[in-house]
Amino acid sequence: MKFTINRNQFIKKISNVQRAISTKTTIPILTGIKLELSQEGLTITGSDVDISIQTFISVSDADNELHIENTGAIVLPARFFNEIIKKLPGEQFTLNVVENNQTIIKSGKTEFTINGLDANSYPRLPEVESNEKLSISAEMLRQLVDETVFSASKQENRPILTGLHLKISAEKLLGVATDSHRLAQRIVKVNNQSDNDYDIVVPARSLKELEHCLIEDNSEIKISISENQILFEFQNTLFYSRLLEGNYPGTDRLIPTSSDTQLTFDAKSLLQSVERASLLSHASRNNVVRLAIDVNASKVTLYGNSPEVGTVEENLTTEALSGADLEISFNPDYLKEALQAFGDTKIEVEFTSALHPFTLKPSDNKENFIQLITPVRTF
Amino acid sequence: MGTIQKLSPLLSNKIAAGEVIERPASVVKELVENAIDAKASQVDIMVKDAGISQITVMDNGTGIAANEVELAFQPHTTSKIKKAVDLFNVRTLGFRGEALASIAAIAKVQLITSTDGAIGTKLQLAGGEKKNLQTVSASQGSAITVQDLFYNTPARLKYLKTVNTELNQVINIVNRIALGNPSVAFNLINENKTLIKTSGNGNLQQTIAGIYGRPTAQNLVAVQGQDNDFMIDGYISLPQQTRSSRNYISLLVNGRYIVNQQLTKAVLAGFGSKLMVGRYPIGVLNIKMDPLLVDVNVHPTKREVRFSKEEQLATLIKTTIAENLNDINLIPSAVNSAGPLKFSPSASSTLTTQIKEPTTKQLAPTPDQWIKPGAINPQPIFDDPEHLASWDQNIKQKASDKLLDPAWTELAANVNHQGFPQLQFLTQIHATYLVAQSNDGFYLVDQHAAQERVNYEKYRQEVGQVSADQQKLLVPLILNYPNADTVIINDHLDMLQSVGIQIAPFGQNSFVVTSHPTWIKIAQEEQTIREVIDYVLQDGKISIAEFREQTAITMSCKLAIKAHDVLDNKQAQAILDQLAQTQNPYNCPHGRPTLVHFSEQDIQKMFKRIQDAHQPRREK
Ligand SMILES: Nc1ncnc2c1ncn2[C@@H]1O[C@H](COP(=O)(O)OP(=O)(O)OP(=O)(O)O)[C@@H](O)[C@H]1O
Ligand SMILES: [Mg+2]
Ligand SMILES: [Zn+2]
Repeated sequence: MKFTINRNQFIKKISNVQRAISTKTTIPILTGIKLELSQEGLTITGSDVDISIQTFISVSDADNELHIENTGAIVLPARFFNEIIKKLPGEQFTLNVVENNQTIIKSGKTEFTINGLDANSYPRLPEVESNEKLSISAEMLRQLVDETVFSASKQENRPILTGLHLKISAEKLLGVATDSHRLAQRIVKVNNQSDNDYDIVVPARSLKELEHCLIEDNSEIKISISENQILFEFQNTLFYSRLLEGNYPGTDRLIPTSSDTQLTFDAKSLLQSVERASLLSHASRNNVVRLAIDVNASKVTLYGNSPEVGTVEENLTTEALSGADLEISFNPDYLKEALQAFGDTKIEVEFTSALHPFTLKPSDNKENFIQLITPVRTF
Repeated sequence: MGTIQKLSPLLSNKIAAGEVIERPASVVKELVENAIDAKASQVDIMVKDAGISQITVMDNGTGIAANEVELAFQPHTTSKIKKAVDLFNVRTLGFRGEALASIAAIAKVQLITSTDGAIGTKLQLAGGEKKNLQTVSASQGSAITVQDLFYNTPARLKYLKTVNTELNQVINIVNRIALGNPSVAFNLINENKTLIKTSGNGNLQQTIAGIYGRPTAQNLVAVQGQDNDFMIDGYISLPQQTRSSRNYISLLVNGRYIVNQQLTKAVLAGFGSKLMVGRYPIGVLNIKMDPLLVDVNVHPTKREVRFSKEEQLATLIKTTIAENLNDINLIPSAVNSAGPLKFSPSASSTLTTQIKEPTTKQLAPTPDQWIKPGAINPQPIFDDPEHLASWDQNIKQKASDKLLDPAWTELAANVNHQGFPQLQFLTQIHATYLVAQSNDGFYLVDQHAAQERVNYEKYRQEVGQVSADQQKLLVPLILNYPNADTVIINDHLDMLQSVGIQIAPFGQNSFVVTSHPTWIKIAQEEQTIREVIDYVLQDGKISIAEFREQTAITMSCKLAIKAHDVLDNKQAQAILDQLAQTQNPYNCPHGRPTLVHFSEQDIQKMFKRIQDAHQPRREK
């Protein structure tokens, strides 16, 4: 195979594919990147079994300056290939596969010869039947991932919790993640023309990578789901991810429907207070802060302490408070991450008791975004 | 030795009954013990097929008088006790008058014995029946050959294990007897190959060298201790030279090898927290006491004995080891600590079938934190085998250096009350080790191990309080255990609760966890809880105090900075200062060394700036 292409366009296209390629894989061929040239254009594939990304550079897009001499396929060592292309001097480069998978890359006065691998030994990508009826805007998908995925578990021995639970019905997509210390649930709009509802668990890592691929994207993303794979299609790119097997725990019943104490905060200023309190709680083994709510006195106080360093006490500014008095302790890091996900907005925090999880919701979008934090029982 | 007599039925009934001969190793044991009782100074043991087809034991002891030879093979005939009271004052290894009779009953036996080194007796038996008796010329002592073990009891033959296993048992028992009798020279030969050879010159350390090899023996330290009733004398390895099984601890009571859980535990307790979890020292303890204090008549093979003052003895063992270890500089020298690792075990060092060290599984931090003492040593110095041989010389030299060196007094003023050097932080390498200097060279400190030690001493006291706060779980953890484990766990729910692990039975073989102590690191909940539960499962009899200690170790490890954390100067110096304040700054709670020492002398030697005066010049 032999082609010439615009170097910058090529670099842009392979950067996404590169995300799927892991240096730690035990399957040597997967440390490579696969190039497949047809008369229509160049297909680039990377995979680590869990995630596979494929992108297509079309000959009909003039920006690509793709000139095909003869078709074929090759697998090249991803890391070197990437570095080489980045450092080439010319605006274009020519890639030519000669005998024994040897590949010559030429640009300006530079010529590299690198050893490739037979493309036939590259694993086939999962088969997912393309679904024309399910799609979501890139913007919505980004928000969903951004606002939930941090709550997923990092504990490999509870594999199902390392994923984001997605429930798709006609008009909405509900995503939930929990590591069992906290939970984040977000509902976004989805375009589902099919008669199917879906209930799947996608590895959090896949979604984080997907989010990176979508950073500047504003298109509509097609979603297809098979038995054990999910496929996202956008801008000449196919993004496959394995689905997690097993039953996701029922989280609906975990979310309280009523509360005894209600507070309203400015998320940003609450975040700053929590960060101050956790300065000291981090210095202690426990990493726990205590929140004391005195409704009659309109006083809400956050305490942090470290036996070694000292104590901090801060009166929090609330926008509103109602209900019963309460003292509750919790890990401030969870509250911090929850608040970071809300950004600059008003939030409502609702408690039932010192031993029950409390909820946080943005005032302007209560129905669609909720976070839950479990307390610490102190003695 | 007195005359051989038949014991009265009344007396013989008082003797612990049971199977005396279980396998070739039991024959070897009985015959060798007889030789020792006969005051032999040389005992040669030759076996074929691990002793299944033939065992010969030759000694240069008293021999058996011609007119007693036949009697010796009768049941309940012995020259070693006469009356019932003698049972409480056994000074010999044998006393039942059972061994020869039991052996003769299940094998073909030939004895040639002489009491004067000129005329002797030859007796042949098969299945207990006399086949031939004649006068022969013979050298002083006895030679017994046992052939075709269990030839007339095929059912028992079937119970034997593989030749290898049986041979290991033989080696094991001869090892132990040899360790208990350094004044007797032993030779164990299997099919013309010498497996054990000890000098018999009375030096225990040399006997150990004959069994575990010279490099191991050289690195052992002598331990001695006594109280009004007991005298302990032996050798024990330093915490950095350990094995993965307790089998390398030998307890000998008045020259008799015994098995005793309590006393073995006392040996380990003497090490305190210096041993790595799952690692055990090599050691030989010869314990002397009035025979009145020990009842040897409790087990048919005499492997177990009963002490009248077991607790007192256990305490003595523990304090003896603890005190003797405290006297030693516990910072491994970067040069010497490679000694034990360099040693490749010879056949004679086999105590158990498996010499290969299994990798420690539970509890072990990730492999990159797992630092073997030898692994950090610069290599060239160890290419010199003589270096290891000059070990004891080295020690002597070091002692005298200290006396002569004018810097010594200055140095002495510069160390804290424990003899731990004052460490000045220089730099961090590989984000894992701290390089520090002191007046006597430089040190490499393992930052994780050091902080574990600091944490451990802090938390040991307060496990209960620290773990009181409980992080609630939204989605409970379910832990499954096999049946047998479930039973044990159920029995220890209170104990687990006492360190903050709150689990409740949940269905058949499961437990549910709805909250966990806040000290457990995020994403390590299940792993940590399982680790703590494992302590209960490993040792069902663990006391609350021991259990809390184990939990403190787990906590200190989980909370310590890891290898690969970059530290700033202040943090690093703080760790060094805190380490110096601990009770045992030398080891992490798992027993790994916290630091190794490169003395100025070591460094000079490495660069060949000085010759070791004690080493003969090597031919080029
Ligand atoms: N190698 C030997 N040298 C001299 N005398 C021996 C030797 N072996 C056995 N005897 C004599 O034969 C006797 C019987 O030996 P045997 O081993 O059967 O009994 P034991 O040693 O007295 O008691 P145990 O059954 O506890 O070993 C001994 O008491 C001893 O007098
Ligand atoms: Mg005997
Ligand atoms: Zn450790």
